[in-house]
Amino acid sequence: MSPRLRLGFIALNDAATMIAAREKGFFAAEGLEVELSREVSWATIRDKVNVGALDGAHMLAPMALATSLGAAGGEPTSLIAPLALNLNGPAITLSSRLAGAIAPGTDAGGLARLVARRREEGASPITLAVVFPFSVHNYLLRDWLARAGIDPDRDVRLTVAPPSRMTELLVEGVVEGFCVTEPWGAAAAAAGAGLIAARGSELWPRTPDKVFAVTEAWATENPEALQALLRAMLQGAAWADAPENRPALAAMLAEPHYVGADARVIEQSLAGMLFHAGGASAPWPVHAGWLLSQMMRWAHIAPDVDIAATARRVYRPDLQAAAAGALGMPALQIPDLLQGFGDDGAFRLDGAQAYAQRARLSRVAEA
Amino acid sequence: MRVLVVDPDPARAALVAEGLAGVEPLEVRHAAVFDRREAAVFEPDVIVVASDSPDRDTIESLREATAVNPRPVVMFVDRSEPGFAEEAVLAGVSAYVVDGFSRARVRSVLEVAMSRFQLMNQLRQDLQKAQADLVSRKSVDRAKALLMKERGLDEEAAYRLLRKLSMDTGRPLGAVAVDLLAFAGVLKGNDR
Repeated sequence: MSPRLRLGFIALNDAATMIAAREKGFFAAEGLEVELSREVSWATIRDKVNVGALDGAHMLAPMALATSLGAAGGEPTSLIAPLALNLNGPAITLSSRLAGAIAPGTDAGGLARLVARRREEGASPITLAVVFPFSVHNYLLRDWLARAGIDPDRDVRLTVAPPSRMTELLVEGVVEGFCVTEPWGAAAAAAGAGLIAARGSELWPRTPDKVFAVTEAWATENPEALQALLRAMLQGAAWADAPENRPALAAMLAEPHYVGADARVIEQSLAGMLFHAGGASAPWPVHAGWLLSQMMRWAHIAPDVDIAATARRVYRPDLQAAAAGALGMPALQIPDLLQGFGDDGAFRLDGAQAYAQRARLSRVAEA
Repeated sequence: MRVLVVDPDPARAALVAEGLAGVEPLEVRHAAVFDRREAAVFEPDVIVVASDSPDRDTIESLREATAVNPRPVVMFVDRSEPGFAEEAVLAGVSAYVVDGFSRARVRSVLEVAMSRFQLMNQLRQDLQKAQADLVSRKSVDRAKALLMKERGLDEEAAYRLLRKLSMDTGRPLGAVAVDLLAFAGVLKGNDR
């Protein structure tokens, strides 16, 4: 009897690995009967994974880490990330009006001047949206602002909104910019509502983003089903990465029960995204360490959290490697150094705590 | 009692109002989409939201980010998700989840959610205070040790000096200790 599994996802390009594994029959070929359940909020994804209403899910990497630490609301639940779902998904989009008033770019200097001017005039602060407090998007946006000297907690107003509603909020003027995973940045640009100011990859090269998460308890009880899921999703990721498959992938994602956006916009926004190539599907503990150090920098987790130990407990490249090995995919080195990250251009897992303390505008001392 | 019902379908708000009939004063407001500013003005005692509402992350972020004014959230799960509500309640997951919705149960569900929220909030505050006290005590101990070493004071004199600094500047003892340690670090060149 084939196991029946329920996996949750949110309507975003990086659900591609799971969607392709189902649509191209990789789950079925592994003897798995998988139901993909489209969820509309990250909080619901987290709760359903925690209580077992979902066997696994597409999840914001910081959410998996925060849930394991008990920092994301609710009881702490040990989650593991045996697969990374994508790199280079997020982008920072500004409203056309705001972009017209500054020279937007990888450097937020123009925005910093506008923020200062608005403060002098006594105008209300600029409102920017992210998808969830514990998200790569929140930390990427905060880093982009902090690099230009903008204090994300004091100089602007950060709010949370569902990814698929970002364009509408931009048009209505409720928010003036947002950081979200594609296709929603490209969709806002295509609608003429906004302009992509910076891509994740310009700030954090090979930007980590979502992971596939299951509870540690589920993984322990179902080691074979987990390996079968990982094998199917690795094949889905490899298929989704192939340039010749991108138009078909875009059409697949465009379906209303998946992402539900325009296929051309999706295809264009998939351009820089990696699902498998160059080790993109391996959950690197150093990526988890980088995200944890950002969480610590902004005092979203306690200053005494052992970053390296947490990163290695939650991120499980060994499980990904076992599945990849069974498929005959080459074993790749898991680096413990991120080039181009942090103030000195090289971030090490064992230097995470120190980085969190010295990072610009760090709140560690206030925690 | 002020209740904010976030639901595209106005039926649930009507049901809540009927179920709370007799509660005085009562104001039930319905919003198809959650609006942070409207909610801030309305100051609800409790927010009711469907578990399949995309606004859940926004509502939850209010609790995460602005611990200033958290609100209890009652979340309703559709019957198409068997077991989820029970499991979530047992696990104490984030919000308060009830399977189905009937006029007769509205009042008790909301009241239980509110009192449980207050209890959890109190526990959280107690925990935060205990943690802050511990951090503060560690800083004070380290600052004392520094003064003993650098100024050749005994423990009692080091503590008196810290307390004097605290009183002179009108700042808590822990904060003065943290400043002292930070400045000492800078003077020693440990600013990286």
